[in-house]
Amino acid sequence: MGGFLPPAERRSSALLGLYAALSLVLLMTGERIPQSWLRAGGAFVFAPFDRVVLTADRVAAAWRDNQQLQQHLAELEVENERLRVAGVENQRLRQQLALPTLHGYALKPVEVLALSGEAVPAAATLSAGTHQGVREGDAVVTAEGLLGRVGESYSGMSRVVLLTDLNSAVACEVESTGVLGVLRFSMAPRPRLVLTGVPLADTVRVGQQVITSGLSRRYPRGLPVGRVVRLAKDPSGLVQDIEVDAAARLSRVRQAFVIARPPALEDHP
Amino acid sequence: MRGIVGLITMAMVALLLRSTALSTLAAKGLVLDVLAFATVVWAFRAGETWGSSFGFVIGLAADLDAAHWLGRHALLLSLMGYAVGRLSRTLVRDSARTQFVIILLATLVHQLWSAAFEFSGLAGWPYLALRVVVASAATAAAGTVLLGIVRRVLGQPLFGHAVLKSNTSS
Repeated sequence: MGGFLPPAERRSSALLGLYAALSLVLLMTGERIPQSWLRAGGAFVFAPFDRVVLTADRVAAAWRDNQQLQQHLAELEVENERLRVAGVENQRLRQQLALPTLHGYALKPVEVLALSGEAVPAAATLSAGTHQGVREGDAVVTAEGLLGRVGESYSGMSRVVLLTDLNSAVACEVESTGVLGVLRFSMAPRPRLVLTGVPLADTVRVGQQVITSGLSRRYPRGLPVGRVVRLAKDPSGLVQDIEVDAAARLSRVRQAFVIARPPALEDHP
Repeated sequence: MRGIVGLITMAMVALLLRSTALSTLAAKGLVLDVLAFATVVWAFRAGETWGSSFGFVIGLAADLDAAHWLGRHALLLSLMGYAVGRLSRTLVRDSARTQFVIILLATLVHQLWSAAFEFSGLAGWPYLALRVVVASAATAAAGTVLLGIVRRVLGQPLFGHAVLKSNTSS
């Protein structure tokens, strides 16, 4: 049949056939191909360009951010003083109750170079990697709250699995009531974060803050995740359907902080 | 050689836009399908051979970037590049109306294909349908305006005569 076509058209048809066959083979066997090193190469190539593209945006945003931060700093100074007093009191009370002492987090500042994912970003590329001490499993937060978890770490950059990844699961609790659940991202009936596994008997109210519970040992306890915005009964009728508005704004994320993952249970005596 | 450099440059620009400025818009609910747009422009400009090559390269890069099934974008965009390249021989490619319709159709097909992989139940289809429609209309409108501006700035047609061009490119 190809003989009826001019040579140039035969060549383009053959090329298309090759591309289509390659794509189909990749679609069928792609899961078995190690893609990590390919993505690492891509991230390495694109990182300098991402920095250039983002620089102009960041210069303009820096001036605006600076003004907001000055005001925020003054407010935080006042709040910090109040918390310091409460912290001393908390330590004393925990000692009296023989509870283990809580430790603070060491925050490592990083830059968000790029976001990727269909429609809703599901992954982010950070400007720091293993050379800067960023390891797989480290939690990533913004000033507002939890962003996700480092899924892959290369020498000079890393990729974060965001809360909006369909495979992400975060053990959470509702602040003030201690109701436990697992935060997942759902595409149906619209993209949203849902606190799953909360029995109907547990009381949850709109507006309550959701924080990490630390029960999965993947994230440190107490990181802000979001606020409850909608409550409904799950179609199964067994648990609640709790919609959560993420604290971290994915559409405005520029800087983030990496928190080292909690030590494994076997590390504790 | 010039064609390969141009192909790589345009693919990189499209992917950079997708992972920076356009991802911010996408997070707010407005998807501008730069992959479909770039493939259409390249197929218009260089014909079906380069159109399908461009679609395959940019699709594969996007597949790797999003860490999902490899070949998902590559398959459709290479077919789209070929189809638009073949079709462009019979079209007035510098007409704004032609560009609008072709970009609209290309984005519609690409978004429907992407949505098919995300379909997770009947409850989610209104959101996906709205996303497909909004993305198609927005990409077609923005793409046509962009091509119009570039044509004005350059002061000459972007794609030249259809038949003469396709003979030299393929």
